[in-house]
Amino acid sequence: MSLTIALSKGKLLAGTEELFRRAGLPFPASEGRRLVVPLDGLRFLFVKDMDVPTYVEHGVADCGIAGRDVLLETAPDVYEPVDLGFGRCRLVVARPRGAADAAGTPIVRVATKYPRVASAHFLERGLSVEVVRLAGSVELAPGLGLADCIVDVVETGRTLAENGLEPMEEVAASSARLIVNRASYHARRDDVASLVAALAKARSA
Amino acid sequence: MNGASHRLVQVPPGVQCFLGEEARRRRQIEERVLSVFEGWDYEEIIPPLFDYADVFASQALLPRTYSFVGRDGSLLALRPDFTSLLAKIAAGRLAGRPAPMRLYYSGEVLRYEPPRAGRQSELYQMGLEHLGGDPRAADAEVLAIAAECLDRLGVRGFVLALGHVGVFGGLLASADLDPATLERLRERVEAKDAAGVRAALPPGLVPAEVGEALVRLTGLSGDAAVLGEAERVLASCPAARTAVGELRQVVEALSAAGLAAHLAIDLGEVRGLDYYTGLVFRAFAPGLGFEVGGGGRYDTLLARFGRPMAAVGFMLGLDRLALLLDRQGSRPSAPPPTAEVVGGAGLGPGLRRARERRAAGARVRFEERG
Repeated sequence: MSLTIALSKGKLLAGTEELFRRAGLPFPASEGRRLVVPLDGLRFLFVKDMDVPTYVEHGVADCGIAGRDVLLETAPDVYEPVDLGFGRCRLVVARPRGAADAAGTPIVRVATKYPRVASAHFLERGLSVEVVRLAGSVELAPGLGLADCIVDVVETGRTLAENGLEPMEEVAASSARLIVNRASYHARRDDVASLVAALAKARSA
Repeated sequence: MNGASHRLVQVPPGVQCFLGEEARRRRQIEERVLSVFEGWDYEEIIPPLFDYADVFASQALLPRTYSFVGRDGSLLALRPDFTSLLAKIAAGRLAGRPAPMRLYYSGEVLRYEPPRAGRQSELYQMGLEHLGGDPRAADAEVLAIAAECLDRLGVRGFVLALGHVGVFGGLLASADLDPATLERLRERVEAKDAAGVRAALPPGLVPAEVGEALVRLTGLSGDAAVLGEAERVLASCPAARTAVGELRQVVEALSAAGLAAHLAIDLGEVRGLDYYTGLVFRAFAPGLGFEVGGGGRYDTLLARFGRPMAAVGFMLGLDRLALLLDRQGSRPSAPPPTAEVVGGAGLGPGLRRARERRAAGARVRFEERG
């Protein structure tokens, strides 16, 4: 097998490593600082989570592991053959506890790291929306008056609660996905097929 | 710097300018591809750069089309693809010409494209259309030509991935689904996301065996053996089986002609321009993350222009071919020979000498001072 695989060093890393070990695939030792790590024929790229789909779509990496939340936001033209089952979370609309329903406001101001997902969600409901794009600490925005609500991922909901927010609506469920470049899928069929099979098997094991 | 002078320097997004070596390389690629088209006895058509907007049939291209209002108030569009134009010409100017017709083109199409992997607003396409004639023979012929083009260009390891819109379409032909549900299913099949297809199936509206077949489509890709598996999976749907049968005929013909190593089957390939009605294919090669070209069968497009006729075609993107050849490290073109410097001894005699050398076929550089 000779493939380039794009991974993020974010919240999916531990689950990815565990899955690769279970699948009997090589995985770089943790806490390395190198961003490109060749190992037993595979080449690992460590990039930002939102960038994983970009590397795969352009074919710089043959495959990658990305959350469904990131795929919804970046909408890459790639294949998503395996739901890897870990990294489960929900993308939700959350707003201050007890706040009025958004349907009554003329325009919804929403703070988020997921501007595409957020605007599509509100526009589909016929609501005008002003997206405030943030890079992090989105939960702070409503309390400080920057936005009426947020669209963000939640796992346990504890961070939301600590900031006086409660989830109102689920936008999408997310989990880690194996993504594959469209050209690699066909032009490097044997290598890709064995990686897909190994990860699908380890996932259900 | 004020806005106007800034624009004199800046290039608008989506367009490019090619110089020297790069320009020469593109011409060489174009010449090689067009010589293959000529070699299969296709006739060049040079269609107009713009036409009435209604001519361009694809709903999918509509939001990406540059359209404008002509002096007489008619809505015009810069061509976003060639196929509609060639269909119009085949049905109109060439109405008296017996089928099959073999036509080719080479030139720019213009599409508004958000900046993204390998996409520009001005795309240079070289392609051909086979109109009328026996459909399976035409399918096999255009695929063989596509393979020959890539082969002649020295593209290594290319794969033609073949699908058929009648597989997905046939499975859902009798289901009464709203457009949003259909699009969600199509999009998840396209992503080869089996779990996503299952989740997108509307409860009660799709028979269980059809739902199962849609889920299985996400994995029906690989070599020709996939066709046998597909026939089993699609056993309960005659329309989808017919589509697979058509693919099988084409794949068998191409394999017998020595192209088996370059073929892949991908029954989950359900994208493409919305006028496709049958076989669809895309060409991939190692080194480029997206297709270098593709095509398909469009049996209903010509009826729009008043001459119902089955047809199939494909195009190769010059921009993508140049990028692919570069990534595969194929030899850059030989530089042009060094020019002879001719001139001196007075402007008239110098120019006469230069013309003589030109008549003898030399590459000359005229320098009036010699």
